[in-house]
Amino acid sequence: MVGASELALINRLQLLGQTEAEYKTEAELLAACRRRDIRAFEQVYLAHGPRLKSMAYHILGSRPDAEDAVQETFLKLYRGIHGFHGQSSIGTWLCRILINTAYDVARKRQRERAPVGPLVESVARQNHLALNVALDDALRRIHPKHRMVFLLFEVEGLRHAEIAAILEVPEGTSKAWLFEAKKELKQLLMEIPR
Amino acid sequence: MILHCSDLDRALSTPDLMPEMRAHAQQCEACAWQLHVWSEISRVAPELHREWESPLLWQRIAAGLLAEKQAAEKRAVETRLSKAMPAWRWALCTAAVALLAVALFQPWRSWRPRANQPRANQPAGDLMTEAALQEVRQTEVAYVRSIAKLAALAASGLQQSPSPLAAAYREKLLLLDSAIADLQANVENNRYNTYLETELAGLYRAKQKTLQDWIQNANRN
Repeated sequence: MVGASELALINRLQLLGQTEAEYKTEAELLAACRRRDIRAFEQVYLAHGPRLKSMAYHILGSRPDAEDAVQETFLKLYRGIHGFHGQSSIGTWLCRILINTAYDVARKRQRERAPVGPLVESVARQNHLALNVALDDALRRIHPKHRMVFLLFEVEGLRHAEIAAILEVPEGTSKAWLFEAKKELKQLLMEIPR
Repeated sequence: MILHCSDLDRALSTPDLMPEMRAHAQQCEACAWQLHVWSEISRVAPELHREWESPLLWQRIAAGLLAEKQAAEKRAVETRLSKAMPAWRWALCTAAVALLAVALFQPWRSWRPRANQPRANQPAGDLMTEAALQEVRQTEVAYVRSIAKLAALAASGLQQSPSPLAAAYREKLLLLDSAIADLQANVENNRYNTYLETELAGLYRAKQKTLQDWIQNANRN
């Protein structure tokens, strides 16, 4: 159990963390995480939290589930920090943990995604919002590995080298899966009447 | 190079071919639409990034990390305790220290009667006579023999089993045997000391119980 005084400390640390990054380099940050310094973990959260939430949302399809997955990811980071030797960046490692965690959460809760109905048909050449919705819808229909690369590259802005490290595949595979993802998406979007 | 509709996928995967493909698309509405959709996918994709305020999320995470820290500290304490000597070793050590103290100081010397010569002011029946001692010895020998049989029963399984449990039992029996041997040597030097006899009987009982426990455990498995 965490008491009121500890929660107050957490709040104070949160305010401190929002003002400036205490650890200037990744090595310093990693060393502080290994010392179980909560402020270091907060700095990691502030740097990577938004991206992790977005990725978890795309896998789980709900904000509360996405937040649960991010929380679990940080617990796993905390538990396993001594097993991380800096082969990749902390962000890359976190993404890998998050993807595995999110899929575990999905399996554990046996959450059935809303049945995939007919593709959104209101897309039109000039209708930007409709294209956004149609693309989101189409993304759920493509191969999961292709979808993951597409999300990481096109949506979250990661480089192929980073994606390759996260998914533990060669960089060429990441590029090939992205191409396949876009081909599948193009095909699905082309099915919508103009 | 002149490209056709069938070259579209090849062109999309080979950026060098795109200028020629675009030239073809100016004449072909179907390819123009496909190229448009292709570029729109990449243009719209960043907007699928989802961001929302989660003011309590970090507090939840930090609370979880602190709870994890406390649990880890508790586990560490428990591990240290469990790695420390188990209770029966403490008991055995205490018994050994007590025996050593008794052997060193020999408090009975001041009142020990000479064998077969009861003190005049005490009735002979109250003292440990040679006959009584002989009887105790015989009983002890019989008891030791029965424990030896028990040990023979347990021996094969106990010596061959590679399990940590068997190792613990072997170690405990070794310690008991060693303590019994030490005590027997003391008893030989102080034949009228009932305290030592009682201690020795206690060690034999401990050995008997250990062997019985092992045999029961082996039968259960």
